[in-house]
Amino acid sequence: MQQSPQTYTMLDLAQLQSEFQSYLIGHKNSTTFTTRIINDAKVGVNRRLAIYFDAYRLRIIEALATAYPKLKALLGDDLFNRIAREYIDDFPSTYQNMRWVGGNMREHLLYSIPEHPIAAEMAVFEWSLSLAFDAEDVAELRLQDLAEIPLEHWNALQLKFQPAIQIVRLRWNIIPIWKALDADEAPPALLQDSIYTSWLIWRRDFSSQFRSMGEMEAIALHMAMTGATFEEVCESLEGQEAETTAEEAMTIAAQYMAGWLQCGMIVSFTLLN
Amino acid sequence: MNTPKVSSAKTNPQLSNLGFGLGLRTQHYNSILETKPNIDWLEVISENYMVPGGKPLHFLDRIRAEYPVVMHGVSLSIGSTTAFDKDYLRDLRKLVDRVEPAWISDHLCWTGVHGQNMHDLLPLPYTEETAKHVAERVGIVQDYLGRRILLENVSSYASYVDSTMTEWEFISLICEKADCLLLLDVNNIYVSSYNHQFDAKAFIDGVPTNRVQQIHLAGHHNHGDYIIDTHDAPVIDPVWDLYRHALSRFGSVSTMIERDDQIPELDELVQELQIARDITADYLSVSGKNELPKSDATVSSNLHHA
Repeated sequence: MQQSPQTYTMLDLAQLQSEFQSYLIGHKNSTTFTTRIINDAKVGVNRRLAIYFDAYRLRIIEALATAYPKLKALLGDDLFNRIAREYIDDFPSTYQNMRWVGGNMREHLLYSIPEHPIAAEMAVFEWSLSLAFDAEDVAELRLQDLAEIPLEHWNALQLKFQPAIQIVRLRWNIIPIWKALDADEAPPALLQDSIYTSWLIWRRDFSSQFRSMGEMEAIALHMAMTGATFEEVCESLEGQEAETTAEEAMTIAAQYMAGWLQCGMIVSFTLLN
Repeated sequence: MNTPKVSSAKTNPQLSNLGFGLGLRTQHYNSILETKPNIDWLEVISENYMVPGGKPLHFLDRIRAEYPVVMHGVSLSIGSTTAFDKDYLRDLRKLVDRVEPAWISDHLCWTGVHGQNMHDLLPLPYTEETAKHVAERVGIVQDYLGRRILLENVSSYASYVDSTMTEWEFISLICEKADCLLLLDVNNIYVSSYNHQFDAKAFIDGVPTNRVQQIHLAGHHNHGDYIIDTHDAPVIDPVWDLYRHALSRFGSVSTMIERDDQIPELDELVQELQIARDITADYLSVSGKNELPKSDATVSSNLHHA
């Protein structure tokens, strides 16, 4: 132990922590702090620090594997671990809660393995499931609440949706692959479609749910979730798919709304003046 | 404020004894609710429930309705030299308001600086200046939360040439300066004593008796030259021996087993917890004290220490 305690200052502590952290993140050149670690014959300073260096990575790799179990299964352990290690280097955690550490995986995959574009889509889907899983709790709107609105007021109807809702657009057969892996079955061959399909993710009874949406429903839901009134949603559907008329658009929009309500996706409404 | 039903011996009478607990893990949510096992209380990792909503908070609320709960954090970073994460403190207080835990703890360490988090419990140099710094920050947190917190001694794999005192002197100094409480992790004492070759009993003998509010027990992995604190195995006999030594110094203290990996069925952990109950019962019968916590203790959630 040092014999002159009065020489240790807060500046020393701050410098130690900055350098220790740089070492953990991987900036191995800045390791003057290693002289502040007691060296010993039994273990030695390098092995002692390597315990921390490895633990930092292993802990986050485990968190990423928990957030992306199907991505890991799809890529295999070796490739996933390599990707995860690169991810840790590129995106040092700024989160107090490890739950959020994996939020940049999609963009990481897009440039780290551009030859496997399906990986980024799987990451998007899994992350969206997790966002739905622990999104804020809200009470569902009941059918009778909407039924009480006079028909002439429907055009001014604006809906509020549960925070768990996520919409992802996928071009690969992510869903059959995800389902097969979830059932411990061999996944189907990878297939890329010529068009993107919108997938709706929401939460019911504490479980994340998902289903595909046609383009018209995706447009209607996007409009409704961004504050459009029922009238505006109907207008956006007019002229879509085989020249939908105003009357048809209204029927279709009402059907969509009934479906969202039945799924528990709608939490409240406002009638705009 | 309700009067705690059980008090620990040889300690400050305002401290309460919840009995014997386990760390709450997602794998055991349903077993706990369905079988109401012989556990007196549960410790939750605070960060796991600092989320907007959904299943984790749903189960936490249901379990909280049945058991006393204490909150244990891993990201407070009490020893950092950069400012607290205000969002973290706000979310922590929000969770405290929801859970009304018997108490709140975190680790005597630092986890990152400059807005980054290494998600590890990194060691501090044991100096007067560091103790003063930590104590000031404990004061900020205690003022913000309106109650005293517990600090836990961590397992460490490196120590500093700049340290001017032992770990237990350092801890004692902080407790005194900050008027905070201690979560004594007996396994961590064993692990660190092995890694740094000090006398584990001297550690236990060196911390103030009136600060120890809770004890952690856990398993670890011995690599020969050093031990890694993995929490993936049963508590080993030398750690149980240290626990006996701790009881002889602190009296009966709220005790729990932590298992974070290779998590077995709940029954297995309840059985392991019985060892702690038996050791405590033996100690109490030999020492002639009559203060064994009831196994069905229904201790108030509002045990104020502030």
